[in-house]
Amino acid sequence: MLTSINPTMKAFAVLIPALLLAFTFDPLTPFIYLVFTVAVTFFTGEVAFKRWILIVSPFLLLAASFAWMTMLHPGGAFSGGDVLFSLWSFQVTTESFRAGISLGLRSLSFAALSLLFILTTDSTKFMLSLMQQCKLPPKLTFGILAGYRFLPTFRYELQVLRQAHRIRGVGRARGVKERMHQFRRYAIPLLANAIRKAERVALAMESKGFTGETDRTHYHEMTIQTRDWVFVIVFVAMFFVSVFLSYQLGFLNIFGKQF
Amino acid sequence: MTKWNLREIVLMAILGVVFAVIYLFFFTVGTGITNLLTPFGLGPFGYEVIFGIWFIVSIITAYIIRKPGAALISETIAGGVQVLLGSPAGPMLIVSAFIQGLGAEAAFAATKYRNYSKGVLVAAGVGAALASFVWGLYHSGYIALSLPLLSSMLIVRVISGALIAGLLGKWITERLADTGVLRSYALGKEWKKKREHKAS
Repeated sequence: MLTSINPTMKAFAVLIPALLLAFTFDPLTPFIYLVFTVAVTFFTGEVAFKRWILIVSPFLLLAASFAWMTMLHPGGAFSGGDVLFSLWSFQVTTESFRAGISLGLRSLSFAALSLLFILTTDSTKFMLSLMQQCKLPPKLTFGILAGYRFLPTFRYELQVLRQAHRIRGVGRARGVKERMHQFRRYAIPLLANAIRKAERVALAMESKGFTGETDRTHYHEMTIQTRDWVFVIVFVAMFFVSVFLSYQLGFLNIFGKQF
Repeated sequence: MTKWNLREIVLMAILGVVFAVIYLFFFTVGTGITNLLTPFGLGPFGYEVIFGIWFIVSIITAYIIRKPGAALISETIAGGVQVLLGSPAGPMLIVSAFIQGLGAEAAFAATKYRNYSKGVLVAAGVGAALASFVWGLYHSGYIALSLPLLSSMLIVRVISGALIAGLLGKWITERLADTGVLRSYALGKEWKKKREHKAS
């Protein structure tokens, strides 16, 4: 089901709650939302658990790192409460602990929302939907799609460059200075080639009669249906449900203000 | 966008795609540095030192094309293509990129798109750094951090924006102009004039 939701609508469905979640500084609200997102991800059965956990694991570390930094260096509004424990010259209090956990959980729920989108969305369809639903200019859309298609070619070009250097006896770079030189030897030709390609693509588009007018017809029609709206509404409504739950349980904290 | 020709639009799109790959690569670099700094509670500084790399396409594109919107749109494209490539930051990246692009664009708009000197390019890098920092206060919850830590993060990010985005961006673009591939864009034309001037 997730794969068939209109990509633009799906993007909004994960964007809006993430923007709203950034207002909360208590651990419970992002936790409830995280549970909801993960549940939706696996309930529909379109995302392989193994793949998901593989992508999410670096984020676990990142979230922990950020939570840890917040606990050790909390701002004025988040440093009250009793001292939980102290380490070196830092003191971690109940409130800074809470804020740290909250920010860690927040970045985890951002990651879960993003993965829900990334793992179930086709890139080309997303671009086409942006053009058809968000009025992205066709010139830009097809330019980006053309560039996107070139990416495998860039990798091949890098290989050719590397082999060309090696056959001429250019060894592996040692030290900072040589590395800088090597960076220049690879980066500039690759970028120059990309620019040449851009020029050729533009010429080809023009010569094939591409005018970039917005009232064109589309081979792949992207549409918005009722269930796309329902999807967005459920995701936004769920944010307010988690805020309500954490208010009822006495956790809710918005920008350092306890409710 | 009406004053743009197709060649410039496609160039901007392709630069956006190329730098999206570079941006994604530097995300892993930042994660590496972060892991080293985590025990001291300074983990996120790993990203701060290299933050400037994430504004570089704004400076390069604006320097080459020199039209209103070049910095903003190219950065937003780079953000969007990272989503297409499967960046785990998801659609939010488009919003973040848009805000960074606004910061860089502001510097060029302040000169009415007439001045592309070193100072303005560095200012664009700094502008992007400031804009992204304000966004981080809200979006990443930096507001919960202590003031000394916040100000040191800001200083590191601004320096990174000035050096990596401003100066490195300028350097890369000028080496590209030297190769002659930019002949049909604003920077290439200026370059040609300079060369003729030198020769005479």
